[in-house]
Amino acid sequence: MTRRQLIALLAVVGGCISVYLTLYKLGKIGTLSCSLGSCETVNTSKWSQFLGVPVAEWGLGYYVVLLAVAIAGTTARLEDSRVVARALLALATAGVLFSAYLTSLELFVIHAICIWCVGSAIVVAVIFVIALIDYRAAPLAVTPSARPA
Amino acid sequence: MVAPRAAARSNGRFYAILAVVAVIGVGTIAYFADHRPGLATTTAITPAPPGSLGPGKGHQLGNANAPVTVLEFADFECPACGVFAVVTEPDVRTRLINTGQVNYQFFDFPLPVHKNTWFASEAAACAEDQGKFWEMHDLLFNGQNDWNGEATSDPSSVFKGYAKDLHLDVDKFEDCYRSQAHMRDIQANQAEGDRRHVNQTPTFVIGTREVPGAVGFDQFRALVDSAAKAAGKPLATGGAAGAAPAAATPAPSAPGSR
Repeated sequence: MTRRQLIALLAVVGGCISVYLTLYKLGKIGTLSCSLGSCETVNTSKWSQFLGVPVAEWGLGYYVVLLAVAIAGTTARLEDSRVVARALLALATAGVLFSAYLTSLELFVIHAICIWCVGSAIVVAVIFVIALIDYRAAPLAVTPSARPA
Repeated sequence: MVAPRAAARSNGRFYAILAVVAVIGVGTIAYFADHRPGLATTTAITPAPPGSLGPGKGHQLGNANAPVTVLEFADFECPACGVFAVVTEPDVRTRLINTGQVNYQFFDFPLPVHKNTWFASEAAACAEDQGKFWEMHDLLFNGQNDWNGEATSDPSSVFKGYAKDLHLDVDKFEDCYRSQAHMRDIQANQAEGDRRHVNQTPTFVIGTREVPGAVGFDQFRALVDSAAKAAGKPLATGGAAGAAPAAATPAPSAPGSR
């Protein structure tokens, strides 16, 4: 399995977490299953919205974009593309920074931890590491059109 | 990175794995999902038709036959009500209610500006079903910042935590809360405030005098003294900050009181 395939798989896992939390925010499910921490405290706090949109929905959109870019990067035409590597790294960096911000809010402001949010943060952190390796491994000068047959 | 041909070969397998992971993900969500609708979506307030409400009964504390009756119209989410409840009310209870001099009645007066106050009133009324209105009242006012509209869009988990802290039957509490079992009682209490032209919270009715705003203990005590004299039942003397006067009668354990 390639690094980008691994990123795509992790994006699906993160997307599932976001779907679950989005369903809660929409009131489609009653309570969050939360064996550890205080998921509902976190997900009903005022920090569960960002720019007027639930953070869970931002997460869902984020993982969909990441999945699309990662899948595109697995195709024969783009598998060596440095642009894709750069896009994945940019997305992963944005994701890991936003996750760090949200986790710090949980720890120091809300004083409650949501295990699903921590799960998503771990997924994003792993994606970041893989995206960084992928970026460093991507060939510098080779473009799809210039690549030797 | 794998070679192009190898990538092409492995892509089919990769998509299959992706599909399997997605199916497992959806299955996991279905497994963990609690299919009961969320509290926030079930607690929209439906006003009762005018005239269809019974009289507001309030929540009573202390001696029902005390010389002075005090009504408090308050909103659980209102900061001034919180200050009164936390700063002044303990003295009122110790020196005036528990000594049998005041029959205290709390009436919900939820203000439209507060998003979670109806839910708080419902939680308190559901706690009353299990004989712990005043305990829940105290937790709600002490923890305003944990559940108010600024802190959360769905305070139910905080209220559930309070129910656990008070050792209530949590399932019973949740059923009551979800079904809005006391919504009409709360509306009736609010209607009582409207009838008395209450337009801010807290507002007190001490004897026959309506007193808007959170008053300090000394002023509260003076108003109670005045009401008692007006009713021809002067209270036992005692400084505002002094020792509690001798109790007339111990507070009875009337329903809804403690």
